[in-house]
Formats: sequence, C-alpha cells, structure tokens
Amino acid sequence: MNEWTKTDREPDPLPSSLPGPTAPGLGEPQAEVEETLKRIQSHKGVIGTMVVNAEGIPIRTTLDNSTTVQYAGLLHHLTMKAKSTVRDIDPQNDLTFLRIRSKKHEIMVAPDKEYLLIVIQNPCE
Amino acid sequence: KSCQTASIATANASAQARNHVDAQVQTEAPVPVSVQPLSRYNVPRLAAFLRRVEAMVIRELNKNWQSHAFDGFEVNWTEQQQMVSCLYTLGYPPAQAQGLHVTGISWNSTGSVVACAYGRLDHGDWSTLKSFVCAWNLDRRGLSPRQPSAVVEVPSAVLCLAFHPTQPSHVAGGLYSGEVLVWDLSRPEDPLLWRTGLTDDTHTDPVSQVVWLPEPGHSHRFQVLSVATDGKVLLWRGVGAGQLQLTEGFALVMQQLPRSTKLKKHPQGETEVGATAVAFSSFDPRLFILGTEGGFPLKCSLAAGEAALTRMPSSVPLRAPAQFTFSPHGGPIYAVSCSPFHRNLFLSAGTDGHVHLYSMLQAPPLTSLQLSLKYLFAVRWSPVRPLVFAAASGEGDVQLFDLQKSSQKPTVLIKQTQDESPVYCLEFNSQQTQLLAAGDAQGTVKVWQLSTEFTEQGPREAEDLDRLAAEVAT
Repeated sequence: MNEWTKTDREPDPLPSSLPGPTAPGLGEPQAEVEETLKRIQSHKGVIGTMVVNAEGIPIRTTLDNSTTVQYAGLLHHLTMKAKSTVRDIDPQNDLTFLRIRSKKHEIMVAPDKEYLLIVIQNPCE
Repeated sequence: KSCQTASIATANASAQARNHVDAQVQTEAPVPVSVQPLSRYNVPRLAAFLRRVEAMVIRELNKNWQSHAFDGFEVNWTEQQQMVSCLYTLGYPPAQAQGLHVTGISWNSTGSVVACAYGRLDHGDWSTLKSFVCAWNLDRRGLSPRQPSAVVEVPSAVLCLAFHPTQPSHVAGGLYSGEVLVWDLSRPEDPLLWRTGLTDDTHTDPVSQVVWLPEPGHSHRFQVLSVATDGKVLLWRGVGAGQLQLTEGFALVMQQLPRSTKLKKHPQGETEVGATAVAFSSFDPRLFILGTEGGFPLKCSLAAGEAALTRMPSSVPLRAPAQFTFSPHGGPIYAVSCSPFHRNLFLSAGTDGHVHLYSMLQAPPLTSLQLSLKYLFAVRWSPVRPLVFAAASGEGDVQLFDLQKSSQKPTVLIKQTQDESPVYCLEFNSQQTQLLAAGDAQGTVKVWQLSTEFTEQGPREAEDLDRLAAEVAT
C-alpha cells in the first residue's frame, strides 16, 4: 500500500469524464496504461506490443492470442537467461535491455522485476 | 573361546501378482493458453512500470528506425547449396509396366512422406483399369525407390491426390469414375476409410482436384472439396460407416457467370462449365479460385447464396459460387495457385503454354509468360519465397521462376524426363522447404533438392512482391 502514497497522482477526475467502464478509483492508472501502450504501438514500424508478467503470462497485447502466447513464453525464458548471463559475468551488473535482430524484424524487450515490455518493430532499411 | 553363528534358517516361497490393470495413454491437442485479463490490483504497478520504461523504449525505437548499422548484413545459417540436384527417383514398377502416368502428387503434413497417384491423363476409357496410390517415407532408413512404403490398389484411375493437413497418414483421392475416396495409409490391410460411392450426388465426370478444408467452427475437423469437369464443386464429410456425405454443393452454369469479361459464345445445350483446378486463398478461407475448361479463372466464395440453375440431381441445394470472371487463356486451364504471401495474387497455367499472373482486383492478367510451346500442366507458388513459382511443362521440364531475378525467362530449368514426355504434377514440401517433387508421364516421381537461393527468403521480399503487384497493375 506504500506505493499509493509515494507516486505522484493527479486528483481523480469526475466519473462522467472517464472514457469507458473502469473500476471506480482505478480509472486513472488504467487509462494511463492504455495511452502509453497506444503511444508505443503507433510508433514508426511497430508491428506489435505486449506486456508479460513475471511468470511469462501475457497481460496486455496488440497481437492475436496464439502469437502472443508464443512470444511471451519464448522471450520470457530468453530474458531470464540473458539476465543470468550478465550477472554471472559480473554480479554488480544487471540486464537493462534486450534486442534481437532477425531477417524480418527486430524484437525489443524492456525487463523489470515484475513485468516485461516486448515491442516488435520492422525497421526501415 | 570361540563363537559361531547359528545356522540360518531359509525357506523358499513363490509369489505372483494375480491382478493386473491396463492403462492407455494418449496425448491430446493442447488447450490454447489465453491472455489473462488485467486484474484490478495490478494496474497501478503496471502503470508505474510503463512509466519507467517508456522513454527508453521510444528512444530505442527511434534509433532503430534511423539506423543503417545492419544494411547489407546477411547471415547464413545453413550450408549453401549451389545447384539443384535430384535426390530420389521413385517409381512403382507394376504401375509403370501398365504405362500409367503419375497424375497427382502430395506431401503429408509432416513433410516426410510423398504419395503419388497413378492414372492416365490422355483421355481414353481407362475406367476399368486398376491403378495405384503409392507412398514413400523419405525419412525411413532403407528407402527403396522401387518399393513404396505403402501401396493401395484402386479399381479406377486416380487423377488427383491430397494429404490431410494434420493427420499424417490420411489421403484423399479423386477418381476417373467421379468418386472421391479417403485412405489411411497406416493400415495396410484395409486402407479405405471413406468413399462417396456412386450415388446421385457423385460427380458424373472425372474428378480434377481434391482439397481438404477445415470445417467452419471446428478447426481440427476437415472436409473434402472436390471439383470435376461436370461443373460441380462438392463438399464432403465422413460420417458413419465409411460413407462420405455431401454437406454443401455448388454448380457452375454458363448463364450465371458474372459478365466481367467477354467470353466466347458457347453452343446451345452446353450450360455446364467444367472445373479443372481449384486453389483456396491463404488469407480468406472462404474465397477460392476455380480454373475452367473454357480457360477463364473464376473467383468464387463458399458463402455464395444464389441457387444454381441446374437440373442435376442433388441431396443438398446447389448454389452458384462465381463472383467474378477473369480474362481467359487461349485454352483450358490445368492449374491455379494462390500466393501465400499476397492476398490478391494468383497464377494460372493451361494448354496454351502460358502462365498468367492475375490480381483478384481486375479481369485482365497482370502479366502473361509463355513458358512452353506445349501444354503447362501444373503451377505452384513457393511456400517460402514470395517471388518464386514452379511450373511443369509438356516438354518434360520443371521451370523455376524467380520474379526478382528475371520476369521473362526461368531462373532454373530442370529436365525431368529424357524423352520429353510431359511432367504432370509438382508440389513443394512446406516442412522441408528445399524439396520439390514432380511426377511425369513415365510413372516416375523425382524429388529435387533446390539450391539455397530458392529456399531462403531475402530481407525485403514480401515488400518487393507488393511493389510488383502494384507496379504491374498500373
């Protein structure tokens, strides 16, 4: 519950101005999540965006179900492996970002203690 | 003092378990995991996380968009194969002794078994001649090219073949008599699974092509679609004791064809339009292209509702499927193939020796290539390279076209037969993408290994295909 008092939050807007059905009192972070994801998704060349939790289960995605589940499972494993690789080489170091470049596109993973943000971009050549 | 252990008493007894239990184990298709709905308690932490990483991700996306660091950088993971070589020459001597041709070829769902159908393509009354369906398992050790792993004797000539998309041993075939049969090649004693029989619903002409389609609503059950020169397109489902039952049917009637292009006037009395080839779109599962005896491809839909004006008897009402008519070839079409990479492009090839590249948006073809002075019997898009297709000609060669290299002449010409007898069918292997199987009039199936340039997609090929389609159209 400490998190709630530490973060800077604007006062809750009146219920009538909320864009859609959301839980009372939690509408503001929900809208912020949606907006942030929409900003990332609308960036040049981005094919898909997804957020995966610490167990590798996708909680937000712009792609279809089966593709999302595949990406989430595989990239979660790979990110954990990359993280342990970095820390094994130097225990004071830690993984901050992971990029995989393939023939067709680039996959970017921003890791965190609780979540992973995965963005797939088709870069311009 | 001395000590000694007392003698140890021993006894013999036997035991046997009298109860036993049988158990069977079977894997089931996995239940697809779904995306978890966002529970309310995680939202603020998720928002905090996104706030933390957003700036970094946007920065990386921008850098990537402008970066030229990887221009021209290509990595080769597989051994480079420079030439096209013949891996296997397969044949079934009893069928070849009867002078049968290979009329249909299919790879199974795992890509390790190739099956061929024997029959005759020059028209004659071969309906009483026994013919065969043979399958070779290429991954098995001790593969004998003259001895197929499975042989099925069929009472009538088989003209087309298609393996089931998920069951590795089920294969459907269309016969000269108009019947459609489904066999299970893993049961050598009694391979016949289902048949249509000779009912009122069955085709009255030889079946030109069979295709497996997923049942709407049940993605793991499949139906068989058959097309024949009697103008009917029929959808069959296996029910009960080996009977294929008609679930849906379509009939092509001359008067109901859309008049998007001028067609030659047909003499009175010929109202049916014979269908000779079918290809389904990889993007819209209800959309299909039919090749006809009149030489004009038709764009059709499974969802068409209009009733067909035909007097052919049928247990289900027949509908008219055609939505658009394309400009004709100079002769009947023998093969059509829809591009797996572009939703509007398809190829057709026929007796005029030309291959036409059509866009579904316009009637005249985007481009027309003359590949042979004789007939063209088969044309197929490559499953991995958007700009590559293969064609089988009546002069006994398999031509591989790479539209990226040259749009006028084939990149590779493979001579399959020494005496210029025609190649009747060919299929790419979608699991082992370097393999291409082709069957010819001498009754042999040759499995060709393609060079690496035909199996590895270049970095921008899909975009090049889009550009080609747009360029040629204007």
